[in-house]
Amino acid sequence: MSFAQKLAQGRFVTLAELEPPKGVDVAAFVGHAQRIKGSVDAVVVPEMANAVMKLGSLGGCMLLANKGMETVMQVCCRDRNRLALQADLLSAAALGITNVMAVEGDAPNLGDHHKARPVYDLDELELMQVIAKLATGKDMAGVELEGAPNFTVGATINTGAMGTVQQELAALDKKLAAGAQYFVTPPVFDLDSLAAFTKHLGDREVKLIPNVLLLKSVGMARAIGRHLKHVHMPDELIERVKGAPDRVREGILVAQELIEGIKAAGYSGVMISPLGWEDRLPQILGA
Amino acid sequence: MIVANGKPLEEIIGVVKGHRKILVAGCNECVTVCEVGGTKEVGILASALRLHFLNQGVEAQVGETTLQRQCDREYVVGARVTVEPYEIVVSVACGVGCQFMAEEYNKVPVVPGVDTSFMGGALERGVWSERCQGCGTCLLAKTAGICPVSRCAKRVLNGPCGGSTKGKCEISKDVDCAWQLIVDRLSSLGRMEDYEVLTPIKDWSTDRAGGPRMRIKEEVAS
Repeated sequence: MSFAQKLAQGRFVTLAELEPPKGVDVAAFVGHAQRIKGSVDAVVVPEMANAVMKLGSLGGCMLLANKGMETVMQVCCRDRNRLALQADLLSAAALGITNVMAVEGDAPNLGDHHKARPVYDLDELELMQVIAKLATGKDMAGVELEGAPNFTVGATINTGAMGTVQQELAALDKKLAAGAQYFVTPPVFDLDSLAAFTKHLGDREVKLIPNVLLLKSVGMARAIGRHLKHVHMPDELIERVKGAPDRVREGILVAQELIEGIKAAGYSGVMISPLGWEDRLPQILGA
Repeated sequence: MIVANGKPLEEIIGVVKGHRKILVAGCNECVTVCEVGGTKEVGILASALRLHFLNQGVEAQVGETTLQRQCDREYVVGARVTVEPYEIVVSVACGVGCQFMAEEYNKVPVVPGVDTSFMGGALERGVWSERCQGCGTCLLAKTAGICPVSRCAKRVLNGPCGGSTKGKCEISKDVDCAWQLIVDRLSSLGRMEDYEVLTPIKDWSTDRAGGPRMRIKEEVAS
């Protein structure tokens, strides 16, 4: 059953985020993906996350698709104008990639090409409207397409970042109106803090996919707690990892417990981000 | 106003090297207000150049002038008698003024003495902040008077993006998230329903997408 079918039927979906390489040696990237094939519904391939230049999402998705894996392509507003974005979407659909996630893209000054000129011709919501328009058989200019792409569209939601829950719900409603079919949250380390947001969702049909970030060290946990103001990092969790005899193993256990908790709480799925420790994914997933 | 930064002296010296008659030309408008290219700054730059030539043991003449507006042909043409005796002009007006000077004086090189940066205003003495990118289709009526095109790092029209955290932008904790400002102001104006509406996809053809722009006011153009 495909990712889209499972999502539509309300079955729990598991996504894993795999960074493509900076270069053309794709052996590790493909190898990591193959080891979790069967344990995940789709592999999310980021498009130059953190504005670091590397092999792109479309290429990464194709590499994995050729090995029989389902993927989620990221479409990023930072580097492409509306012509290029639409062209990539058509290319993706024609090559069999039907899951996309619209992202704004981190600003170039955060990455490794800080002299780059950002594009941002469209924003994330405008891009989602374009994806919806393409599905009607017309491009942004209203010109008829020879075959319309039909995507399952994901978006990000930045819970806890704005001033009030009402503002965040308004932002969420706009993304729903623009065609978002599921939402990936920021990293979650405390399910209660996420529940504090979700209890306000009311009768909105929102498929939320919390992000589980693998904790690789105590320093990483502290940095998240200190710098990501909208991500709640419980002190007890930092202490737990710090006091563990095997901190790497403890980080994996934390991720496993979060995944179980997310399942038990009835969320639509989970997205696991190993952040460079892709070789630990099979262990996290019990693959 | 148009806000500019003075170029490093070494860079200007490198450009005027070899010339013996140099005119530093200021402008009485924006660059005077942002304290980079008015009469006072022309005097400072000219003095610095004179000192440099003196230290090098080079005999050079460095003149000073400040036009009413370098972005207005009338004033640029009117400076002919002042400009033409010089071998090179260092314009400390904005990029517009520098080009208008260059277009008028075919035989005299005109080089910039400032880096033109943005359209903005003075927050306080010595502090200027960007407010407009001249996109050609003003959205301020819908965004509570705060411009997402000039003040959001990603020009997001349906914000905030995922990089906004507690009112600050991901590019720097010193930069306000424009969309947080918009939402806060819409909220205080009792107009949050404006925020709930998806902004139509922006037509950038009135921005640079349509190429260099002109404005012609028919009733006054000859």
